[in-house]
Amino acid sequence: MHSIPEHALLALLLPLASATVIALFLRRRGAIAAGISVGAAALVAFISIILLVHGERFSTSVEWLRLGDFTVSLGFKYDDLAALMLLVVGGVGFLIHVFSLGYMHDDKARARFFAGLSIFMFSMIGIVLADNLFMVFVFWELVGFSSWLLINHYHEKQSAADASKKAFIVNRVGDFGFLLGIIMCYWANGTVNLDELSRLGAANQLALGAAIPLLLFCGAAGKSAQMPLQVWLPDAMEGPTPVSALIHAATMVAAGIYLLCRVHMLMVFEALQVIMWVGTITALYAALCAVVQRDIKKVLAYSTLSQLGYMVAAFGLGAGWVSEGVGGGPVDMFHLAPDPAGIGAAMFHLTTHAFFKALLFLAAGSVIIGCHHEQDIFKMGGLRRKMPVTFLTFTIGVLAITGVPFLAGFYSKDAILYLAMKNDTTVFAILTFTAVLTSFYMFRVWKLVFFGPARGEAAGHAHESGWTMTLPLVLLAALSVAGGWPGVFGRLAGSVAHLVPEAAGPAHATILVTSLVVLVLGGGGALLYYRTTENDTLEERAPFVFGGLVRLRASFDQLYDYYVAKIQQRFAMLLNFLEQIFLAGLIIRGLAGVVGLLGYGARALYSGSVHAYVYWFLLGAVLLWAYATGHL
Amino acid sequence: MTIGLDHYLLLSAVLFALGFLGVLLRKNTLVIYMCLELMLIASTVALVAFSHFNGTFDGNVFVFFILTIAAAEVAVGLAIIVALFRQRHTVQVEELNQLKH
Repeated sequence: MHSIPEHALLALLLPLASATVIALFLRRRGAIAAGISVGAAALVAFISIILLVHGERFSTSVEWLRLGDFTVSLGFKYDDLAALMLLVVGGVGFLIHVFSLGYMHDDKARARFFAGLSIFMFSMIGIVLADNLFMVFVFWELVGFSSWLLINHYHEKQSAADASKKAFIVNRVGDFGFLLGIIMCYWANGTVNLDELSRLGAANQLALGAAIPLLLFCGAAGKSAQMPLQVWLPDAMEGPTPVSALIHAATMVAAGIYLLCRVHMLMVFEALQVIMWVGTITALYAALCAVVQRDIKKVLAYSTLSQLGYMVAAFGLGAGWVSEGVGGGPVDMFHLAPDPAGIGAAMFHLTTHAFFKALLFLAAGSVIIGCHHEQDIFKMGGLRRKMPVTFLTFTIGVLAITGVPFLAGFYSKDAILYLAMKNDTTVFAILTFTAVLTSFYMFRVWKLVFFGPARGEAAGHAHESGWTMTLPLVLLAALSVAGGWPGVFGRLAGSVAHLVPEAAGPAHATILVTSLVVLVLGGGGALLYYRTTENDTLEERAPFVFGGLVRLRASFDQLYDYYVAKIQQRFAMLLNFLEQIFLAGLIIRGLAGVVGLLGYGARALYSGSVHAYVYWFLLGAVLLWAYATGHL
Repeated sequence: MTIGLDHYLLLSAVLFALGFLGVLLRKNTLVIYMCLELMLIASTVALVAFSHFNGTFDGNVFVFFILTIAAAEVAVGLAIIVALFRQRHTVQVEELNQLKH
């Protein structure tokens, strides 16, 4: 029997081994490659369950690189937080691997796809287990790379190639801040090891300030697609649907939230306020955008953005919580540790969201395959009878995300709303309105896809998917139902579950009533309002509102386009011009010109006339003589 | 009139100047070559005169060396000129101007 840290190491290295073997030997053997990759994912899921059940928590670390006084170490920090996240990554990852077997069955580049999934699993598990921020950063870049690779799977399609580049570049913007944050943290505290930072934090010896947490939040904002770096996530839907489910819904985009929870000891009040507002605004903005999407995956992408906004807001809401708990007297705002309630609520929603959003994406993938790659919800319809399993599981997903009582989303969303109600009424109002929108756009999709007549030819010939695709759907549906039950989540999350805020007494009733009203208002509104026709009802009846939302959605892309094309490009042209004139022109060509001229002059001396040489010799002899005799 | 050191040195200087002007002004490689030899001879005249008037053998020893080297030099130099003539059918310096740029 191996020891526990070796299990963790195995979980990290298995996907890497799978990716390596596929990349080196199995590039043309799609079936074997898929088998190896799914096998590795299954083992990872198994190990993550064993580690969770075994109950041992540990930290271990080895030195990797030493440069003078500066050392970089590699190590694992396996606490309850990492255990929960590893289970989410391993479990959901495995189910998505199985789904991919069916979804990617006829793909030409199946081996590359599965190698990409494996390298992603490796990178993601690295982030989950890392015990210091440098190691997190290394794996952070690796998930960025694997995300790029997988979005770009259909690389012959221009839009997919553009989307992958966009995702990579936008993430780089965030990662630059992240790296600065890590360096600043090292400079200020002398360590980036999470355990040591916690110890310093407990002893009140941490150098606190708003800069470090905000810079670290830049990285989280890039990965978790928060404002203003949210533009890449909707475009990333160009990748295959399992990738959208795994990377762009369940795990990688949640890494930002996970990172925030990992570095919570560095947080200060001001930073948490910023984080809270960024999350809140992202949640609202993305929900508004989702209402006008026609592409089923884009709706889910904006929904993901919105839910990530919820999690970020939940984390930020930890701040005010403490100041209330202190009670009376001036509160020293600079030295408030964030309340763990924010962590509890954020991680709770992260977990349930991973379940139901992976479910929704995979069900959408099943719909897309069934409809022969039709993604426009207005060309679908009537799939209820043709795809019964997909219909049922998608329905559970919709009910879970909209917060129907006793499903997973109900508990986690209520925890966040309760936290907001206690802390900040404005945020509470915005998040509640966002919840109305969430119900609205989810039931809109649900009605348009599964009800009414089949509006497209593809939808008319739709068929249910095979078992490799429906089995993961059923399992994820079960998790989406049960994942939020206190008994289940308490098992999964250990001590993290104790951090989840729970409403009691009248507050409990208020939250319950609010969420039910939200559900009825949004869901009922969508079911009554939308007609199952080929045109968007909102566009027909209220073109002004529709146009406004479309412009709102496009505004960020237009702003960035304007910035890149008109400001950055021109600045680059100016620099290029200066470079051409001064650097390339004066310094490089100028120096070469001077040397060339000297050479040209020296060449003229070398005339080939012996008499000329003799005269030069005479001159030389005279000069030498003059020098030797002191006349010169 | 007694012939003193000055006269020898004057003779030597005149010979040297003749040789040098010849090198500078003549066009025929053979003539230039003979002028070079003339300059060597001018220097040996001066050395022999010094040796005689100083009463030492240093100058004479020098002269032997110079003559030996001049003989070797003539052998090599004339061989080059003969080879050059075979190749180019001329020994005029203004036509021997290939060694440039």
